[in-house]
Amino acid sequence: MTTKLAFNQETLLFRTDVLVAGTRCLVSTNSCDILRAAAQSPRDTQRSCTPSFEMEVMVESALDVVPEHAAHFRGNRHLVFAKLPPRSFIAFDLLRRRVHAVLSNAAARDLSFWNTRLLPITIGVLGTTLGVVPLHCACLDRNGSAALIAGVSGAGKSTLATAMSQLGFALLSDDWTYISKHRSALLAHGLYSPLKLLPDAARFFPVLRHFSPRRSLNGELAYEIESVQSIGLSATGISRPACIFFLERTSAPGCYLLRCHSEYVREFFTKNVERLPDELPAAKACRASIIKVLSDRPSWILRTGESPQVTAEHLNDFLLEADRATA
Amino acid sequence: MIFFWRQTVQQPDCSIHTDPLDLLRRFVPTPLKAVYRIGSLRVTVQTNDITLFPAFPLVDIPLPGERLLEWKLIRDLDAPGLLDPPLFLTCGALTIVEMGSACFLGLDHERGELLGFIGAEVDARTHQEFLVPFLCQMTNEAFLPAEEAERSGFHATEQTND
Repeated sequence: MTTKLAFNQETLLFRTDVLVAGTRCLVSTNSCDILRAAAQSPRDTQRSCTPSFEMEVMVESALDVVPEHAAHFRGNRHLVFAKLPPRSFIAFDLLRRRVHAVLSNAAARDLSFWNTRLLPITIGVLGTTLGVVPLHCACLDRNGSAALIAGVSGAGKSTLATAMSQLGFALLSDDWTYISKHRSALLAHGLYSPLKLLPDAARFFPVLRHFSPRRSLNGELAYEIESVQSIGLSATGISRPACIFFLERTSAPGCYLLRCHSEYVREFFTKNVERLPDELPAAKACRASIIKVLSDRPSWILRTGESPQVTAEHLNDFLLEADRATA
Repeated sequence: MIFFWRQTVQQPDCSIHTDPLDLLRRFVPTPLKAVYRIGSLRVTVQTNDITLFPAFPLVDIPLPGERLLEWKLIRDLDAPGLLDPPLFLTCGALTIVEMGSACFLGLDHERGELLGFIGAEVDARTHQEFLVPFLCQMTNEAFLPAEEAERSGFHATEQTND
């Protein structure tokens, strides 16, 4: 049986707005559950920024009985499609900056779906068209200044970020950090996504033994800690990127920092971001501009053969020394 | 009679696309191209799989005043499963259809393009007998005058929120 849904003002009667990664999202929905979820998100009470994008969320009971699928994403030109468990479907229109989501009741009632799936994925897909660049790096804040930790998948960004949080840094993100430009300054945003650690991280962080690994969105078995406060860490949502470290694992013991040039930073990020279609020239230009500004931040290659804790202590000492030198 | 003719035969290119920076498969090459007429529309079909071409007569000569439209259909070897019942969304300038992970379709009325992913397990017969009429219906409803669309449209069992 075909299910036909019309997204318009008559079918989506409830409206609100939320702030996501510095952008203002107008939400229209037919569901009180979605209104409740949106009410948990930060709001732009003073209407200080113009709406950046629109999200139409329809909750449809017919989806409660359709077959379940694993997460599946596809995109073509300006359109992106996403199947997301539980039984939900989202279409993104990058040219018009609109999101059309059809959610099952199970997804709508789950606040964590809103916080850890729908909003981060939306900014991940739409961000470059809104002046927000998703970068695959961890981010830690101390006194309003952020250290970004980049590196290839499996380098140990999340375990190092966790170890640094144990030393008093506030965790902004262990995986994806969203960079925007406000006037001439860069801002780093986190979206309170779950801290994700692979099962072998339990040997460095015994507290993980109180949790059970589960299948994450990409199919990996991992610990997903939705509230880092529950394991004694602090979190923050925004900071100013001050420096960048490129994490490299080696088998040799020791921990070394090598200064790198802005060209290295620019090339690393440019080569590791998602390719964008020709239909989005402004997004491409905006992203290139933000990466260029970011590449002027002091940056180092962090080569380590040590545990996350030892590496974090080494990095902490280095940052404290740099702070003292600056002061 | 079904007439299927091709001027230049090219090898289909639907090999697995493994660009790590193209996780959404936006840049899957679609080197195969043919032109058809659907009602009063001239439709260019681009694809990476020869079996996704509609089994319609090809056209050569444009007619005066006919509207141009593009279908870009990608055979997605990494999309699992068969077709689920269609979930049909109309949202402003877009018509979106999802049939499980095996089929995503997006029709942009303003840009005159229909973009689709069709999974590996959707066979040629299902494509020709179900999906192609479905694509024609979407195209007709979006671009043909109401009376003409009604004459040429097919009717599915529907559940609507209207």
